[in-house]
Amino acid sequence: MKKLFSMSVALILLLAVTACGSKPAANDAKPADQPQQAATQPAAEKKEEQKAEFNYPEKNLNWTIAFGPGGGNDIMSRTIIDILKKHDLYSKDIIAENRQGGSGAVGWGYLNSHKGDPYQISSTSGSFITTPLVSDPGFNYESFTPVALMATDDMVLVVKGDAPYNTLEEFIEAAKTRDKKMAIGGIGAVNVDAILPWLLAKEAGFEIEYVPFQGDGENTSALLSNSIDAMMANPAEALGQIQAGQMKPLAFSGQVRIPQLPDVPTFIEKGYKSVTLPMPRGVVLAGDVPKEVQDWWVDTMKKVTETEEWKKYINDNSLTEYLLFGDDFTKYLEETNKVFRDVLIETGALKQ
Amino acid sequence: MDLLSNLALGFSVAVTPLNLLFVTVGAFIGMLVGVIPGFGPSAGIAILLPITLSLDPTSAIIMLAGIYYGSMYGGTITSILINTPGESATVASTLDGYPLARQGRAGPALVMQAIASFVGGTVGVILICSLAPWFAKVAMSFGPSEYFMLVVLGLLMLTVMMGENQRYGIVSALFGFAIAMVGVDVVSGQQRFTFGSAELINGIDFIPVAIGLFGIGELLSCVYEGNHREKPQDMMKVKMFGKGFWPNAVDYIETKWTMFRGSVLGFVVGVLPGAGATIASLMSYSLEKKMSKTPEKFGKGAMAGLVAPEAANNAASSGAMIPLLTLGIPGSGSTAVLLGAFLMWGLQPGPLLMIEHPEFSWGLITSMYMGNIVLLLVNIVAIPIFVKALQVPYKLLLPVIVVLCVIGTYSLHGSIIETWIMLICGVLGFFMKLYGYSPAATVLALVLGPMAENTLRQTLIASSGSFSVFVQRPVTLSLLIIVLIAIVFPIIMRIINKSRKNNRDIVA
Repeated sequence: MKKLFSMSVALILLLAVTACGSKPAANDAKPADQPQQAATQPAAEKKEEQKAEFNYPEKNLNWTIAFGPGGGNDIMSRTIIDILKKHDLYSKDIIAENRQGGSGAVGWGYLNSHKGDPYQISSTSGSFITTPLVSDPGFNYESFTPVALMATDDMVLVVKGDAPYNTLEEFIEAAKTRDKKMAIGGIGAVNVDAILPWLLAKEAGFEIEYVPFQGDGENTSALLSNSIDAMMANPAEALGQIQAGQMKPLAFSGQVRIPQLPDVPTFIEKGYKSVTLPMPRGVVLAGDVPKEVQDWWVDTMKKVTETEEWKKYINDNSLTEYLLFGDDFTKYLEETNKVFRDVLIETGALKQ
Repeated sequence: MDLLSNLALGFSVAVTPLNLLFVTVGAFIGMLVGVIPGFGPSAGIAILLPITLSLDPTSAIIMLAGIYYGSMYGGTITSILINTPGESATVASTLDGYPLARQGRAGPALVMQAIASFVGGTVGVILICSLAPWFAKVAMSFGPSEYFMLVVLGLLMLTVMMGENQRYGIVSALFGFAIAMVGVDVVSGQQRFTFGSAELINGIDFIPVAIGLFGIGELLSCVYEGNHREKPQDMMKVKMFGKGFWPNAVDYIETKWTMFRGSVLGFVVGVLPGAGATIASLMSYSLEKKMSKTPEKFGKGAMAGLVAPEAANNAASSGAMIPLLTLGIPGSGSTAVLLGAFLMWGLQPGPLLMIEHPEFSWGLITSMYMGNIVLLLVNIVAIPIFVKALQVPYKLLLPVIVVLCVIGTYSLHGSIIETWIMLICGVLGFFMKLYGYSPAATVLALVLGPMAENTLRQTLIASSGSFSVFVQRPVTLSLLIIVLIAIVFPIIMRIINKSRKNNRDIVA
């Protein structure tokens, strides 16, 4: 067992060595002292400093990823970090850390505990709005300093490849005439996946049963096995199924069509104006940071969105580019928050 | 021959010196990671994924396949040597693996598990090559209602591993269900028993509970019994390279059909997305116990009781590749991480993956085959080292194991709450062992409980609350009939036996 222990020590060393060789892994290394220093310095003192002479950045940046490795939020964060490094937009080091748990509650809770620290940053997703609404983690979107909305995630309503309906109209017609309610699957109970079909059913005047799943795999196999009638899918993940004819896309929830699915109409085109609810993929700083820092980041993010790498990321992940900076981003979060809240109260998921 | 040309393509991709090196390095790193308690395949792949990002997709996936298999082999080593399963699929391996090690048969146990894993993996790969399209169809007919019946079947199998006192076993399983209640209810989105803690929103993970109940619980129990004072030779008798290090002929003969049955069963269950290796290893173990002529030996160091779940969980992990490659559906934690990796490399998962990127898909499948061969060799070389570790006096081993358990738990999510959960479960595990409760039933109930709850509720929501769905869908109905037979058959047998006995009494 001694051997075993020394082997695991050797392994850790080995990992450290290999990690230095590859870019994304290098971000995981955490110099323990620097972030702490930044955290313990009183915020007031820092403000004084900034007023005297604006020198940013002076320290390493701590990038909190509120979800696990490999997920949508993780990929976006690491893409931005790579761009910042590659184009020398941030002169010091950037330390990325996955603080997952509680649908973002752990990660953003951590960011919220560093109010006033200009070296704490994080990226947002749909849960940035929904988690504070349903689980009261002690923060909401107002607790942070908005930098930029970079893109939005929208969803596509799909049915099985051999389903009897080919268009949204036929689907709605079938839903209205048959006895059994349409069962529509999605991921999570209090999520955009649940709200979109509910909005559609309300506007078109039919009834649905929403079936919550835990992951994309469960959801897909439920649809392919005829257990549910339709599902809300992430375009990037459903594209393969659609190309193979296993799934038929009926409508897309974005403001405009996406290039990956050029023939799929939006709900808005079909006359269902309310059925669009973009999930914000943006960047926020810790709360109460100086205005200069916020402006610095707004400028920097503008540069990021102009790079080739960013355009490629948007395209590869079937996202919609949607740029809003600073206070426009706040206004957007306010509106989205209100829509989510109203819908959740109406569906009974939220008591008010 | 389609199969042969596919395999030839796969081998031509996988068998280059560089890729061979990648699979060997991957297998070795995977095994080292797997040896740390709590690090199973999904954790191993997630941690090591960034290393592979700088490689081209085919080499990267080949290395990942090596890591995947390596960490599965490594995880079993801790199940056998220190009674700590690294993931839910190796819980069943502790039941007979650890008693074997305690009897001084750690060497044969490790060699046999390597062989069983090799056979399981190989049978799995052969079945993938020959029957992938057919199995993909089977996987496609599985929705929530089918999964629910399958999980119910898994829960029934649980009763077989509860040990002698079934009442205590049921209490243990209920305790597991209770732990599983913590966290967000998937269906309503409401939090249950989280007491305002952000870290409990996602529920209590299987790994801290398993490490606590098995690993720390076992340590405390050894100290309680005074084993730490004994000389290592008495605690774990080890014979190096002599007679008794290698499995004897009886071991091979006794388990040759077990390996085969376990492999096929494991593969079939593994193909179903979501059910995976845990249910496969459970079913395989209980099947062998039912078929055995000496079922009383199970749980006390029966070689078949180790071989059955090992062959099954490795075959299942090959099986899990079928829905991933042919349908783009991840069937387990590890394959979900692999799916994420596909997207990172710009490969579109889905039914067209195998057609559009045959060199990638078949390269992956053949590298799994090679991974198995490499690991069998690596294992046989490394086993003496692991067994040698057992010669260290137990009182010195104790603190090292505690440190490894704490590191393993903490580094999973960096959560101090999970570390406390692990330590508390350690104390609970000690008392469970002392009074004859079943930790295996607890952790497996923790895994299966939420699956049963979610799939049942999903089924009933989709059917608007009608139970008729369980008899309308043919696969669900067949599984329901199997469940009913599994419940009713033993009762009928008991009645028949009783009446026979009565008749005999009357005649006599």
